[in-house]
Amino acid sequence: MNDKICLSIPTKSEYVSVARLTSSVIANNMGFDIEDIEDIKVAVGEACNNAVLHTEDYDHTFDLSFSAQSEKLIIEVKDSGKGFSLDKYEEPDLEHPKEHGLGIFIMKSLMDDLEIESQVGEGTFIRMIKYLNK
Amino acid sequence: MSLEIQKAFNNERNVWDISLAGDVDIVSSVELKDNVNVLLDKDEKGLLINCEHLSYIDSTGLGVLISLLKRVKKSGNEIELTNAQPNISKLLKITGLDKIFVMK
Repeated sequence: MNDKICLSIPTKSEYVSVARLTSSVIANNMGFDIEDIEDIKVAVGEACNNAVLHTEDYDHTFDLSFSAQSEKLIIEVKDSGKGFSLDKYEEPDLEHPKEHGLGIFIMKSLMDDLEIESQVGEGTFIRMIKYLNK
Repeated sequence: MSLEIQKAFNNERNVWDISLAGDVDIVSSVELKDNVNVLLDKDEKGLLINCEHLSYIDSTGLGVLISLLKRVKKSGNEIELTNAQPNISKLLKITGLDKIFVMK
Protein backbone atom coordinates (compact mmCIF):
# COMPACT_ATOMS: atom_id res chain seq x y z
CA MET A 1 0.00 0.00 0.00
CA ASN A 2 1.25 3.46 -0.85
CA ASP A 3 -1.70 5.79 -1.20
CA LYS A 4 -1.37 9.55 -1.05
CA ILE A 5 -4.19 11.94 -0.18
CA CYS A 6 -3.55 15.65 -0.72
CA LEU A 7 -5.72 18.50 0.51
CA SER A 8 -5.47 22.23 0.03
CA ILE A 9 -7.18 23.91 2.99
CA PRO A 10 -8.06 27.57 3.55
CA THR A 11 -6.07 29.10 6.41
CA LYS A 12 -9.25 29.63 8.39
CA SER A 13 -9.71 28.10 11.81
CA GLU A 14 -13.10 26.60 10.95
CA TYR A 15 -11.45 24.18 8.48
CA VAL A 16 -9.07 22.62 11.01
CA SER A 17 -11.83 20.25 12.11
CA VAL A 18 -12.11 19.03 8.49
CA ALA A 19 -8.43 18.09 8.60
CA ARG A 20 -8.84 16.36 11.96
CA LEU A 21 -11.82 14.31 10.84
CA THR A 22 -10.08 13.36 7.58
CA SER A 23 -7.05 12.15 9.53
CA SER A 24 -9.14 9.96 11.81
CA VAL A 25 -10.94 8.33 8.85
CA ILE A 26 -7.64 7.59 7.08
CA ALA A 27 -6.03 6.25 10.27
CA ASN A 28 -9.08 4.10 10.98
CA ASN A 29 -9.04 2.67 7.44
CA MET A 30 -5.36 1.79 7.88
CA GLY A 31 -6.11 -0.23 11.00
CA PHE A 32 -4.72 2.02 13.75
CA ASP A 33 -6.26 1.40 17.18
CA ILE A 34 -8.49 3.95 18.89
CA GLU A 35 -5.70 5.48 20.99
CA ASP A 36 -3.42 5.92 17.97
CA ILE A 37 -6.27 7.41 15.92
CA GLU A 38 -6.85 9.94 18.70
CA ASP A 39 -3.12 10.77 18.84
CA ILE A 40 -3.02 11.29 15.06
CA LYS A 41 -6.14 13.47 15.16
CA VAL A 42 -4.72 15.68 17.91
CA ALA A 43 -1.30 15.98 16.20
CA VAL A 44 -2.91 16.89 12.85
CA GLY A 45 -5.07 19.46 14.65
CA GLU A 46 -1.95 21.02 16.20
CA ALA A 47 -0.06 21.11 12.88
CA CYS A 48 -3.04 22.75 11.16
CA ASN A 49 -3.52 25.19 14.07
CA ASN A 50 0.09 26.19 13.52
CA ALA A 51 -0.52 26.82 9.80
CA VAL A 52 -3.64 28.89 10.50
CA LEU A 53 -2.18 30.88 13.41
CA HIS A 54 1.02 31.74 11.52
CA THR A 55 -0.64 32.89 8.34
CA GLU A 56 -1.82 36.46 8.46
CA ASP A 57 -3.36 36.54 4.99
CA TYR A 58 -6.89 35.21 5.25
CA ASP A 59 -7.05 34.27 1.55
CA HIS A 60 -4.20 31.77 1.69
CA THR A 61 -4.36 27.99 1.75
CA PHE A 62 -2.02 25.44 3.28
CA ASP A 63 -1.22 21.94 2.04
CA LEU A 64 -1.97 18.80 4.02
CA SER A 65 -1.00 15.36 2.76
CA PHE A 66 -1.34 11.83 4.07
CA SER A 67 0.83 9.00 2.75
CA ALA A 68 -0.77 5.74 3.81
CA GLN A 69 1.88 3.01 3.62
CA SER A 70 1.73 -0.60 4.75
CA GLU A 71 3.57 0.02 8.02
CA LYS A 72 3.18 3.76 8.63
CA LEU A 73 1.23 6.95 8.06
CA ILE A 74 3.22 10.00 6.99
CA ILE A 75 1.52 13.37 7.42
CA GLU A 76 2.91 16.58 5.96
CA VAL A 77 1.64 20.12 6.54
CA LYS A 78 3.12 22.98 4.57
CA ASP A 79 2.16 26.62 4.87
CA SER A 80 3.55 29.80 3.38
CA GLY A 81 2.87 31.87 6.48
CA LYS A 82 5.24 33.96 8.53
CA GLY A 83 7.21 31.00 9.88
CA PHE A 84 9.25 31.12 13.06
CA SER A 85 12.80 30.68 14.25
CA LEU A 86 13.32 27.14 15.49
CA ASP A 87 16.38 28.35 17.40
CA LYS A 88 14.08 30.37 19.62
CA TYR A 89 11.75 27.44 20.31
CA GLU A 90 11.87 26.31 23.91
CA GLU A 91 10.19 23.21 25.21
CA PRO A 92 7.49 24.18 27.71
CA ASP A 93 8.43 24.27 31.37
CA LEU A 94 5.94 21.76 32.73
CA GLU A 95 6.30 23.21 36.23
CA HIS A 96 5.35 26.70 35.01
CA PRO A 97 3.16 26.26 31.94
CA LYS A 98 2.37 29.14 29.64
CA GLU A 99 -0.68 29.74 27.49
CA HIS A 100 1.29 29.30 24.25
CA GLY A 101 3.90 26.93 22.88
CA LEU A 102 2.30 23.59 23.72
CA GLY A 103 1.47 22.59 20.12
CA ILE A 104 4.91 21.37 19.01
CA PHE A 105 5.42 19.59 22.31
CA ILE A 106 2.10 17.77 21.91
CA MET A 107 2.89 16.69 18.31
CA LYS A 108 6.31 15.43 19.42
CA SER A 109 4.81 13.49 22.31
CA LEU A 110 2.02 11.83 20.34
CA MET A 111 3.78 10.93 17.08
CA ASP A 112 6.68 8.50 16.52
CA ASP A 113 8.66 10.97 14.45
CA LEU A 114 8.43 14.74 13.96
CA GLU A 115 10.46 17.03 11.71
CA ILE A 116 9.91 20.77 11.45
CA GLU A 117 11.48 23.17 9.00
CA SER A 118 10.60 26.82 9.38
CA GLN A 119 12.07 30.11 8.30
CA VAL A 120 10.85 33.55 9.22
CA GLY A 121 8.95 34.96 6.25
CA GLU A 122 9.07 31.67 4.33
CA GLY A 123 6.57 29.44 6.07
CA THR A 124 6.69 26.13 7.89
CA PHE A 125 6.88 22.48 6.88
CA ILE A 126 5.92 19.77 9.36
CA ARG A 127 6.39 16.05 8.73
CA MET A 128 5.04 13.51 11.20
CA ILE A 129 5.08 9.73 11.17
CA LYS A 130 2.99 7.21 13.08
CA TYR A 131 3.90 3.54 12.74
CA LEU A 132 1.32 0.78 12.78
CA ASN A 133 1.70 -1.78 15.59
CA LYS A 134 4.45 0.12 17.37
CA MET B 1 -18.43 19.11 16.92
CA SER B 2 -19.16 22.50 18.42
CA LEU B 3 -18.81 23.39 22.07
CA GLU B 4 -21.66 23.57 24.57
CA ILE B 5 -21.05 25.34 27.86
CA GLN B 6 -23.38 24.99 30.82
CA LYS B 7 -22.71 27.19 33.80
CA ALA B 8 -24.22 27.81 37.22
CA PHE B 9 -23.07 28.86 40.64
CA ASN B 10 -22.61 25.98 43.06
CA ASN B 11 -23.62 27.41 46.46
CA GLU B 12 -22.66 24.26 48.31
CA ARG B 13 -19.05 24.32 47.06
CA ASN B 14 -18.88 28.11 46.57
CA VAL B 15 -17.50 27.68 43.03
CA TRP B 16 -18.62 28.17 39.46
CA ASP B 17 -19.93 24.89 38.05
CA ILE B 18 -19.15 24.52 34.37
CA SER B 19 -19.96 21.58 32.12
CA LEU B 20 -18.32 21.29 28.73
CA ALA B 21 -19.64 19.18 25.87
CA GLY B 22 -18.02 18.82 22.46
CA ASP B 23 -14.70 20.25 21.29
CA VAL B 24 -12.52 23.00 22.74
CA ASP B 25 -10.37 23.86 19.75
CA ILE B 26 -8.96 26.77 17.76
CA VAL B 27 -12.54 27.90 16.94
CA SER B 28 -14.24 27.50 20.31
CA SER B 29 -11.45 28.19 22.82
CA VAL B 30 -12.13 31.95 22.67
CA GLU B 31 -15.79 31.28 23.44
CA LEU B 32 -14.77 29.29 26.52
CA LYS B 33 -12.40 32.01 27.67
CA ASP B 34 -14.97 34.78 27.21
CA ASN B 35 -17.76 32.85 28.92
CA VAL B 36 -15.71 31.98 31.99
CA ASN B 37 -14.18 35.45 32.28
CA VAL B 38 -17.73 36.89 32.38
CA LEU B 39 -18.46 34.60 35.35
CA LEU B 40 -15.24 35.58 37.11
CA ASP B 41 -15.99 39.26 36.50
CA LYS B 42 -19.22 38.71 38.44
CA ASP B 43 -17.57 36.77 41.25
CA GLU B 44 -13.93 35.73 41.56
CA LYS B 45 -14.37 32.13 42.65
CA GLY B 46 -12.86 28.77 41.80
CA LEU B 47 -14.02 26.65 38.87
CA LEU B 48 -15.39 23.14 38.92
CA ILE B 49 -15.24 21.98 35.30
CA ASN B 50 -17.06 18.78 34.41
CA CYS B 51 -15.32 17.26 31.39
CA GLU B 52 -17.50 14.15 31.08
CA HIS B 53 -18.83 15.16 27.67
CA LEU B 54 -15.72 16.96 26.49
CA SER B 55 -14.57 14.93 23.50
CA TYR B 56 -11.57 16.95 22.30
CA ILE B 57 -9.22 19.66 23.47
CA ASP B 58 -6.16 21.10 21.72
CA SER B 59 -3.29 23.39 22.73
CA THR B 60 -5.43 26.51 22.27
CA GLY B 61 -7.99 25.06 24.71
CA LEU B 62 -5.28 24.05 27.16
CA GLY B 63 -3.86 27.58 26.84
CA VAL B 64 -7.26 28.99 27.86
CA LEU B 65 -7.38 26.70 30.90
CA ILE B 66 -3.87 27.85 31.90
CA SER B 67 -4.85 31.52 31.58
CA LEU B 68 -8.02 30.91 33.62
CA LEU B 69 -5.99 29.10 36.27
CA LYS B 70 -3.64 32.09 36.54
CA ARG B 71 -6.66 34.33 37.10
CA VAL B 72 -8.37 32.16 39.74
CA LYS B 73 -5.08 31.60 41.59
CA LYS B 74 -4.79 35.37 42.07
CA SER B 75 -7.91 35.20 44.24
CA GLY B 76 -6.61 32.11 46.04
CA ASN B 77 -8.82 29.65 44.19
CA GLU B 78 -8.33 26.52 42.09
CA ILE B 79 -9.66 24.86 38.97
CA GLU B 80 -10.93 21.33 39.48
CA LEU B 81 -11.36 19.13 36.40
CA THR B 82 -13.67 16.16 36.82
CA ASN B 83 -14.62 13.08 34.76
CA ALA B 84 -12.08 13.67 31.97
CA GLN B 85 -12.18 11.04 29.23
CA PRO B 86 -8.98 8.98 28.68
CA ASN B 87 -7.93 11.01 25.61
CA ILE B 88 -8.26 14.29 27.56
CA SER B 89 -6.47 12.84 30.62
CA LYS B 90 -3.62 11.67 28.38
CA LEU B 91 -3.12 15.16 26.96
CA LEU B 92 -3.22 16.75 30.43
CA LYS B 93 -0.66 14.19 31.61
CA ILE B 94 1.85 14.61 28.78
CA THR B 95 1.73 18.39 29.11
CA GLY B 96 2.11 18.18 32.90
CA LEU B 97 -1.12 20.07 33.40
CA ASP B 98 -2.56 17.26 35.51
CA LYS B 99 -0.23 18.51 38.23
CA ILE B 100 -1.40 22.11 38.24
CA PHE B 101 -5.14 21.46 38.06
CA VAL B 102 -7.02 19.54 40.71
CA MET B 103 -8.02 16.33 38.94
CA LYS B 104 -10.96 14.28 40.20
